[in-house]
Order: sequence, then structure tokens, then C-alpha cells
Amino acid sequence: MVILRAGLCPGLTAEMIQLLKANGIVTALYEFFSVPFGDGCLSTQALVAVRRVLLAQFSAFPVNGADLYEELKSSTAILSTGSRSLDRLLDSGLYTGEVTELTGAPGSGKTQVCLSIAVSTSHDLKQNVLYVDSTGGFTASRLLQLAQTRTGDEEEQVSALQRIQVARVFDVYKMLDVLQELRCSVSQQVLSSLGPVKVLVVDSVSAVICPLLGGRQAEGLALMMQLARELKTLARELSMAVVVTNHVTRDGSSGHLKPALGRSWSFVPSTRVLLESREGTWGKASTCRIASLTKSSRWTIA
Amino acid sequence: FYTAHILLINCLVLGFLILFSFLFSGDVVEFHGPEGTGKTEMLYHLIARCVLPKSGGGLEVEVMFIDTDYHFDMLRLVTILEHRLSQSTEEMIKQCLGRLFLVNCNSSTQLLLTLYSLENKFFAHPSLCIVILDSISAFYWIDRSNGGESFNIQEMNLKRCAEFLEKLVREHHLALFATTQMIMQKSSNSTESSIPLKLLCEADVEYRPYLCKSWQQMVTHRIFFSKQCNFSSSKTFSIVSCHTKKNHIIKCSFSVAECGVQF
Repeated sequence: MVILRAGLCPGLTAEMIQLLKANGIVTALYEFFSVPFGDGCLSTQALVAVRRVLLAQFSAFPVNGADLYEELKSSTAILSTGSRSLDRLLDSGLYTGEVTELTGAPGSGKTQVCLSIAVSTSHDLKQNVLYVDSTGGFTASRLLQLAQTRTGDEEEQVSALQRIQVARVFDVYKMLDVLQELRCSVSQQVLSSLGPVKVLVVDSVSAVICPLLGGRQAEGLALMMQLARELKTLARELSMAVVVTNHVTRDGSSGHLKPALGRSWSFVPSTRVLLESREGTWGKASTCRIASLTKSSRWTIA
Repeated sequence: FYTAHILLINCLVLGFLILFSFLFSGDVVEFHGPEGTGKTEMLYHLIARCVLPKSGGGLEVEVMFIDTDYHFDMLRLVTILEHRLSQSTEEMIKQCLGRLFLVNCNSSTQLLLTLYSLENKFFAHPSLCIVILDSISAFYWIDRSNGGESFNIQEMNLKRCAEFLEKLVREHHLALFATTQMIMQKSSNSTESSIPLKLLCEADVEYRPYLCKSWQQMVTHRIFFSKQCNFSSSKTFSIVSCHTKKNHIIKCSFSVAECGVQF
């Protein structure tokens, strides 16, 4: 329930609030908008003016489809992940404006894929990456190894690594802080020496959310949806490609692997990739991994 | 003016291939289903049918799309339009897209304020007769957590939105399509459902209502989306449409291809 108070918008002064209350007009938001005109000594003009300003400030504006299409044509980019087969699976790469999810059991290679995406973006595409690590699985030496396989030139390796910013977070509030800071720094156009971030990797989302779920409280789910909203807003409004990783659980009825975090989270990513390790001969785990697409807005899955 | 709207919406019916018995303006349709069952694809199909010119098989009406969870994929819509138009030039696509208006909302309070400010839009554009809200359940958990212990406060914003939507639908003769996500398991206690249990069981549908009563009572057609598990048929998704007042059910199946939904 939103209550009007002085200073909420220009024109809504403390005197006006007093006047509204004196005339019996309730200052809760909904009631304010449904009060009929011409009541009491508060002029209709003043009421209408305040309403208009409130709406202008807080409501969202409709955009024409043609204008949005023009904007998207110029701002959407498809970023290669560095692995041709993964690119093919994702319909030529990571799309900016979307959240892509990698799920898999522990040891299936999610962190490795994330690191490789980070290096490929910073070295091949010369774009900045923000890597948010919540599992402790990030090692700079592995990044260097990956960069070294791409180029022998030390300077290029260093500049590739410099384009990757790392944030270590271990709970959801810190993660939300980091994401909001990113949004603020872009909106205030803080000129960092690096430039805009094009890829945001969050490894992993389930590590910070799983401890909150369970029990009958809605708090945990609300925080999860808040995080989801931040990620999607960053993806859309700042034209970033967002990659998140998630664990898997077994489906109760069918016994198949399915991504963790439940049904509410399942609506968040536009694309989901499941990574599995293939059993080598003699039952030993091989170094081979299979990635399969479990949800995509572009491919139809038979 | 009013009869023109009925005619328009009936043309829409034919596009859905007998899905609804009659769809009048003033109808509120809810698409309900778990993730990956084709709800958003169906919305693209609907938008395409509305914005395409009459020569392309469309209705040339304007559509207002309210997006609450950044789900809308413009490029996918353009792909579908290109497949439907016989000559898809840039000009034609732009003309079609000019009939679509998009709004993004970040919270249920912003949704409510946006609905207030959209009222002017409806006055200014008489051909704007379809409103799509994807999805109305996006703020459910956040609202519940913000509302504290009282269910009333938790549901207040959505209730206000539903009431105002009803007013808009009534006064401007709109048809409203809203998606709700199936985020809960079917409960064993099914007395909460407004559709008789027997009817739901016959139709083999899992439904657990969780949004506020004002919204549930507003809905005239509830369409359940699900994936079909039999691999023999080529159609992969199925929908069951329930008319809430008349209590009859229609089933249909469809598949999703490059060019959109195919029945």
C-alpha cells in the first residue's frame, strides 16, 4: 500500500497533503486516483495537476513497436561463446537482452564453460565481462591458461584478463548490491577505463538462493524473483548477455534430471542448456561432456 | 461502434479454429500453464493476426502489450510476421509493428499507475481493442513478501489492478488476454477452484488458483496449456479451453514451428 507523502513528486507539498486530509480525501494511492472531482475546497486543477505529475513520474510509458524494433536492430548482438558446437546449440551464440542458463550436476563443467565464455568475450570480441562468483570456483590462473591457448602474445593475454572484472559474493544481498551497482555505474555513465560490460556471468545463482528456499515463507521466493528481475532488467535495458548457472535435482515422478530452483525460476531464463558428463568405457567418468538444449525460444524441441 | 467490435473479435475466433464458441469484446481470457508450453508463442500468433493488414489475413487493429517480466521477444515476432506476409518488405513490417504498443512494468504498483495513465491512450486510439498482459502473476511472490502477514495487503495491488482492468475492458470494449504462470503443484484441497472439479478431471487439467478472487472472477475463458507426452502425434502442445460461466470445455492441440503456431 503506497501512501502519498510530501516530496513524492513536484507539486505535492506538505500543505497539499494537509488540505487533502482536511477534505477527507484519503492519501493512499488507489483512493487518491479514484476520488471524484469537485469535492471540497481543493481545486480540481490542483488535484489533476498532482495526478498528472505522479503518473508522469512513476508510471511506465508505452513504446511503439516500430520504434522498438529499430532500436533493437541496432543494439542486439549475438556473442560467440568461443566453442563452435555450443554456438550452434545456442543458435549462433549468446544473445544480448536475454538470460541463458547452464545447468548440470557438480563436475559437469559449468564453471569451465563460464570461464571460457569470459575469455572468449574479452579476447576474441574485445568486450568487457563482469564475472560474479558465488561458489569460489573462479581461479585467475585457469583464466590465464585459457587466454594462453588463444594467443601467445603476453600483452594480449594481459589486456584480455584486464577486461574481466570479478566480484566475489556469498549471499544474495551482496549479489543484489553488485548488480545494482553495475546498473548505477552505467546509468550515471561513469567513465571507467574499460567501457560498457557486454557479458554478465553469474556462477552460480543456486548457491545463493538455495539456502533461502524451503519452509513456508515467501521471503526466499520473493528474493529469488527480485534477483531474477534485476538480471532481466540488466539484460534488456543495458543490452547485455547474461549467463547464469544452476544445479540440478531429480524429478520426483520421472527420475529425470531437471534444473533446480523450482517452477517460478523456470520462467526466467529464455534458454536453458543441460551439461552432462558422458560415461566413458569401464564406467569411468570421461572428459567428454554433452550439452543439450532443454528450453529455447528459438528452436522447437521435438 | 460496439457491433463493429463484435465483428472484429469474431474474425479473431476463426483464426483460432473453433477454439472459442464466441469471443465478444468484454471477454477476459487467461492463458495458464507451466513453463515451455507455448503460451508466449500463442500470444505472438494472436498479435500477428491482429496487426497484419487485411490483405495479409489480419485484422488491422491495434494491440497494447503490457510486459511485466521482460519476456517479449521482438525479433521472434518479426520472424513470424515475415513468414505470414506474402511480400515482407521492411516498410510492411514497420507498418504492422506500428500497430503494436509495448509497456514494461517493474512492480505491481507501477502496473497500477501505468493502467491509470493508459486510459488516455484508449480514448485517443479507438482501434486499440486488444490488451495483452504477460504475465499478471509476475509479482506474486514479491507482493506476498511485501504484504507481511495479512493476505489482504498482499493481494491489494493485484486486486486494484484487476478492478481497474475490468473498468477499462467494460468502458472501452476491449478484449483482455493475460497469462498466468503455473507455479504451484496441484493442491489436494480443490474446493478453491471456480470450475467444477469433475469438469477439470475430465479434461485432465492441473489447476491450482492462487491469484486474488477479483481476478479469478473476472476471467471469462480459462485456457490451460500443457505438453503432450505421446510421441506418436506430431502436435506437441495441447490446450484445453474452459468457459467459466457456461462450464463447457474445448480441447485442441498445436505445434510450434519457425513460422509460429500451427494447429
